[in-house]
Amino acid sequence: MKIKNWIYTAALGAVISFTGIQQSSAQVAQDRYFRAIGTPHNPKVQVSWNRYHTNLALEEIMKDMVKKHPDLVKLESIGKSYQGNDIWVLTVTDFKTGNAEEKPAMWIDGNIHSNEIQGTEFTLYTAWYLSEMYGELDFITQLLKDKTFYIAPTINPDAHDNFIKEPNTLNSPRSGMIVLDNDGDGLAGEDPFNDLNGDGHITMMIRKSPTGRFIKDQMDPRKLVPVAADQQGEYEMLGFEGYDMDGDGQVNEDGVGYYDPNRDWAWNWQPDYIQRGAWKYPFSVPENRVVMEFVMKHPNIAAAQSYHNYGGMILRGPGAEEDLNTYNATDIRVYDAIAKKGEEFMPGYRYLVVYKDLYSVFGGQLDWFYGGRGIFTYSNELMTSYLYFHQNAGRGNQDEQMKVDTYLTFGDAFVNWEEYDHPQFGKIEVGGFKKNFGRLHPGFLMEQDAHRNSSFTILHAFHTPKLSVMDVKEKDLGSGLKEITAIIYNERLIPTHSSQDIKYKIERPDYVSISGAKVVAGFVVENEDFNKVKEQKVNPEKIEVENIPGMGAVKVRWIISGNGNYSINVDSVKGGKANWKK
Amino acid sequence: MKRLYLSLVVGAGILFSVQTTSLAQGDYPTLSQLTQRLQAISGSGSAAKLSSLTKTEGGKDIWVLKIGKGEIDNKPAIAVVGGAEGFHVLSVELAVQFAERLIKEHSDILDRTTFYVFPNMSPDAYEQYHAPLKYERRGNTSKVDHDRDGRVSEDGYEDLNKDGLITLMRVESPTGDYTPLESDERIMVKADISKGKKGSYLVYPESRDNDKDGKFGEDLTEGIAFNRTLTYKFPIFTPLAGDYAVSEKESRALLDYLFDQWNIFAFVTFSPANNLSAPLKYNAADAKKRIVTSMLEKDVAINSMVSGIYNETVSPKAFNQSNQGTDGDFFQWAYFHFGRLSFSTPGWWVPEIKGDDGKSISNAEANFLAWATEKGITDAFIPWASVNHPDFPNQKVEVGGIRPFVMYNPPYEMVNDIAKEHTDFIIKLAEMSPKIEFHNLQTEKLGNGLTRITVDLYNNSPLPTHSEMGEKSRWLRKIRVDISKDAKDLVSGDKIKLLNKLGAFEKTSLSWIVKGSGAVDIKAGAAHTGIAILNVKL
Repeated sequence: MKIKNWIYTAALGAVISFTGIQQSSAQVAQDRYFRAIGTPHNPKVQVSWNRYHTNLALEEIMKDMVKKHPDLVKLESIGKSYQGNDIWVLTVTDFKTGNAEEKPAMWIDGNIHSNEIQGTEFTLYTAWYLSEMYGELDFITQLLKDKTFYIAPTINPDAHDNFIKEPNTLNSPRSGMIVLDNDGDGLAGEDPFNDLNGDGHITMMIRKSPTGRFIKDQMDPRKLVPVAADQQGEYEMLGFEGYDMDGDGQVNEDGVGYYDPNRDWAWNWQPDYIQRGAWKYPFSVPENRVVMEFVMKHPNIAAAQSYHNYGGMILRGPGAEEDLNTYNATDIRVYDAIAKKGEEFMPGYRYLVVYKDLYSVFGGQLDWFYGGRGIFTYSNELMTSYLYFHQNAGRGNQDEQMKVDTYLTFGDAFVNWEEYDHPQFGKIEVGGFKKNFGRLHPGFLMEQDAHRNSSFTILHAFHTPKLSVMDVKEKDLGSGLKEITAIIYNERLIPTHSSQDIKYKIERPDYVSISGAKVVAGFVVENEDFNKVKEQKVNPEKIEVENIPGMGAVKVRWIISGNGNYSINVDSVKGGKANWKK
Repeated sequence: MKRLYLSLVVGAGILFSVQTTSLAQGDYPTLSQLTQRLQAISGSGSAAKLSSLTKTEGGKDIWVLKIGKGEIDNKPAIAVVGGAEGFHVLSVELAVQFAERLIKEHSDILDRTTFYVFPNMSPDAYEQYHAPLKYERRGNTSKVDHDRDGRVSEDGYEDLNKDGLITLMRVESPTGDYTPLESDERIMVKADISKGKKGSYLVYPESRDNDKDGKFGEDLTEGIAFNRTLTYKFPIFTPLAGDYAVSEKESRALLDYLFDQWNIFAFVTFSPANNLSAPLKYNAADAKKRIVTSMLEKDVAINSMVSGIYNETVSPKAFNQSNQGTDGDFFQWAYFHFGRLSFSTPGWWVPEIKGDDGKSISNAEANFLAWATEKGITDAFIPWASVNHPDFPNQKVEVGGIRPFVMYNPPYEMVNDIAKEHTDFIIKLAEMSPKIEFHNLQTEKLGNGLTRITVDLYNNSPLPTHSEMGEKSRWLRKIRVDISKDAKDLVSGDKIKLLNKLGAFEKTSLSWIVKGSGAVDIKAGAAHTGIAILNVKL
C-alpha cells in the first residue's frame, strides 16, 4: 500500500514539477479577476456551480463547451431515452494528439437514479474543468493528450427533469419514467403522490390524534418529536402527501415504475423476486441499453465512475456476496490504492465495498462494468451530512438538518406546516423538508465537492495504463541471427487487463509486433535471468501478450535475421499504443 | 377462369386439412413451407392470428400464433414453443401441428383457454437442415467470437469429404484418447484410463485448425443459440451464449411480448430438456438460497401430477431422458424467472433397444444405431473414410459418424402420431387451467337499506392459481376482487381486494355490507385465472 501511494505521489509530483510556476499576467484576467488557486478564473464557458441545471440548460452548456473548445470537446447523442430525450456523451480529450478511440479512456456518468441529480453537475464540472485547464496546467494538458474522457451527465434524462419540474419527494422518482403496475392490481400508475398544497414538493402529512405518538417541539415547532413511552402524544404521521385515488384503501402505492435502473445490468442479473427493482432482463431499461451499446463500442474504456447520492462513499463491488470470487486480490490492490488515496482528499468520504458495507445488489451497474467488461469501476455516493458541520451526525438527522436550515439556509429547506382538508383523512397538516434538501447538496457546498470528486476521477483516469517500449536489447547469435529483447512498461496502476478480463478473455490480448525484420522465432520472456521463454509458433512477428500489469512490464523476444532497421509497436485496446524505432 | 378459381378452393382445402399436410410431405418442412402453413392456419375467420415479433439477424421472421375466442386476453393461456434448438426440427413441426390440430379438432377448448404458439425460435439455425451443407446448428446469424481470441468465427466446421454433411473426424495417433466401442466399432468413445485402457485416436468435429491454436471447430461460423441466451443460469462468455443474456433480437422480442401477456399460466416447450417423463427434483438447500436453483416443493408436486398425465397420454416409454435443463435455456427461464408452470419435452427420443444379451445398450449412440437397424434405416451412419487433412499431413485421418439430425429427429413419417399424442397432452393441460368461480351466494337484509352479501370464491381446478414460484413473481397478477358500489356505500368489505392465490380446488369467503338497493356486480380473477362476474340483486 505505502509503496503504491509513494509511486503515485512521485509520478504526479514529477509531472507537476515540470510545470514550474506560471506567474504571469494571465492570472489577472481582463483587469477584473484574480485566480483562486485550482479554479479556472476566466473560463471560456461560464457556469455557476451552485445550482442545478435542467436538460435544457445542460444542453446549452455542453454545446457551448464544444463551441469554445472545438479541439477538446465533442458532443454526441448516443441514443434516446424512453420518452425520446437524447442521452448525451461529451468526449473530452486532446483530439489533435492521437485517436480518441485508441487512448485509454475513463467513463463517467451521473443520475442513473432520477433524484440523484448532483451527479449530473459533477460530471459536467469535470468536463468543464478539464477543458478550461487544458493549456494552463501541464498535468491536465498531458492527461488529455494521453487519455479520453467519456462523460454522460445524465443517463436518465426523462426522470432528471421530472424530479426537478414535477412534485416529488427527496427519493422520487428512483426509476425512469416507464409506468408499471407497482401493486399488482392490473393497473399501472393509478395512485401516485398528490401535491396537495401545490408547492412542487411532496412533503409529509400529519394529523392531530389522541393516539398519536408525536408532538411538535416547543423550541422549534417545525420539528415533530416522538413522546416518551408513557406520555400522550398529539400527532400521528400519515406519510407522504397523497390520497387514495383508486379506492383500494392505500395511498401513493402505485406511481411511476417500481423498477430500479441500477438493477438492470448484465452481470449476475437476477429477477425481481430475488432482486427487487429488476425489470425484465438485463438492459430492458432503454437508457441502460444505450449506455451498454456505447461501452461495447468503446473497449478503450479502462476505468469508470458512476455517481449516486447519498452518504459520502467511494464504492466498489462486489455488489453481492455470491460474487466474492469475482474480485480477486490482484485487482483489489489496484482498487484499494486509488480509493484510499481518494479518501485522503475527500473529507467525509469513506471507501466501502457494496455487499459488505451496504447491502447486496444483483445486476448493479458497477458490477457489470467490472464483471462484464473488466473495467475498474467505482460508484461515488455524493453528499454527506459531514459537509455541513464536519460532524458525523448521520443520515437524515432531524436536529442537524433543522440547524442547517436555521443558520445556513435560513428557512429555504423547509415547508412550514399548514392545514389542509384531506378527502379521506379530514383535517391534516402538510409540511416538511423540500425534495432538494437532504440528499442533494445545498448550493454553497456544491462546487467544492464537485471539485474533489472530479479530482478523484482524474486520479482514476491518470492510472489507466500508460505503455512504452522501455528498453530494447540486441544480442548477436552468430550466423546472421540476432536476438532482440524488448521491455514493454506500464507506468500506471491499472493493468491492460483486469484479472476478471483475463479470466473470461473479455478483451483480446495486447499485441507487440516487430516490423522491418525477418522473424525466425518469437517469445514471451517469462524470466530473463534464467532464459525461461514461451514460444509463439504462429505469427511470431505479432506476439500476443495476455496482460501488461500495472507498474510492471512484460518482455518479448524475437530471433531475427538480417541487419535492417526495424520498429516495435504495442497495440493494447485498453492500454493504448506505443512504438519504438531503431 | 372458373376452373382456376375452383382449383384454388381445393388447394385451400388441402392446406387446412391436417391429415393431408402431414402425409403429403416426405420430410420436415422448409421455412417457407412453414410460413405457408402458419398463414393457412390463421386465414380469415380463423381463431388464430399470425404476427411476426421481429426478424432475426438472418432476416427470418419470428412468428407467433395467438389463438382464442372472445375475451382472449382474460382467459388462462398456454404458450407452446418450438425451435428452442435449431437442430431439433421435430420441435417446430410439433408446435405447428399442435396449432393445426387445435383449430381443426379441439376448437372447443378455446372457450376456456387461449394459446400462444411460437413455432420456431431458431429459424436461422433451422435453415441448416435444408442447406447444401447440413449440420446440427444451434446459433443464429450474429457474428460471435466464440473462443474469445479476437478473431471472429475463424474455426468453423469444414466439409472435408465433400458429402454435404458435417460429422466427425478421427486421427490415428499413439497419443489419442479415443478408442472404438467394443460392441459397435463404428462408435468412438474415450478410453477408460481407470481400467488401464489406452486410446489410439484423436476425435474432433469435421473441421480444420485455421488459427493453429491446436483446437478444432472451436469458433463456429454460427452466432448465439436461443436456448443458451436466457437469464436463468446464463452461461456468460461461453460459446453460443455471448457477452450478456438476452442479447439477440429474437430473444428480446419474445420476452418483451411475453411480459405483456398476463394470461399465460403454463408453457410447453419442445426442446431437448425433459421434465414431463419425470418431474424436476426438489432440493431443499437450493430452493432456500437467495438465488433459487431448485423448483420449489409445491411446484414439484404439480410437475409430478402433470408428468403423470403426460406419461398416460404419450405412449413411448422414457429412455435416456436425463437432460432436465441446461444453463441459459428457455424452459427453466419460464419457471425460474417468469414464474409460470413450465414443461419441456423433446417429443421423441430413441427408444430402448435390448442387445443380444437382453440387456439395454448403455451407450446412447450404439442404442441409436441398433434402433436404426431395426427400423431398416441404412444410412444413419456415414462410414469412416480416409481424407487428406492439411493439419495432419502424415497421419491417417478419417471422416464419418452418425448422420446429422437423425438422433434427435425421427423419420418424418413418425411425426404424425407423436404430434397427435402431444396435442392431446396439451389439451388435457388446458382442461386443468385455473378457473375462478363464484358459489354459495347469500344476500341478507339487515334492515334500513343494508344488505350483507356473502359469497365463496372458488378455484375449480387441480392447479393452484399461482404456483409457489408464481406467488413470488411480479409477473403473475394477483386475484383482484372488485365490487361495483362506491366506497361510501360500503359499510364493510373492500371496494378492491387483492388475493395472493387460491390453491387447487380451494375456496375463500368474501363478504360485504352494502347500502342501497338495485344490483351490484362483483368481479374476481386475474388474466391467467379467467375473470368471473357475479350479478347480485339487493
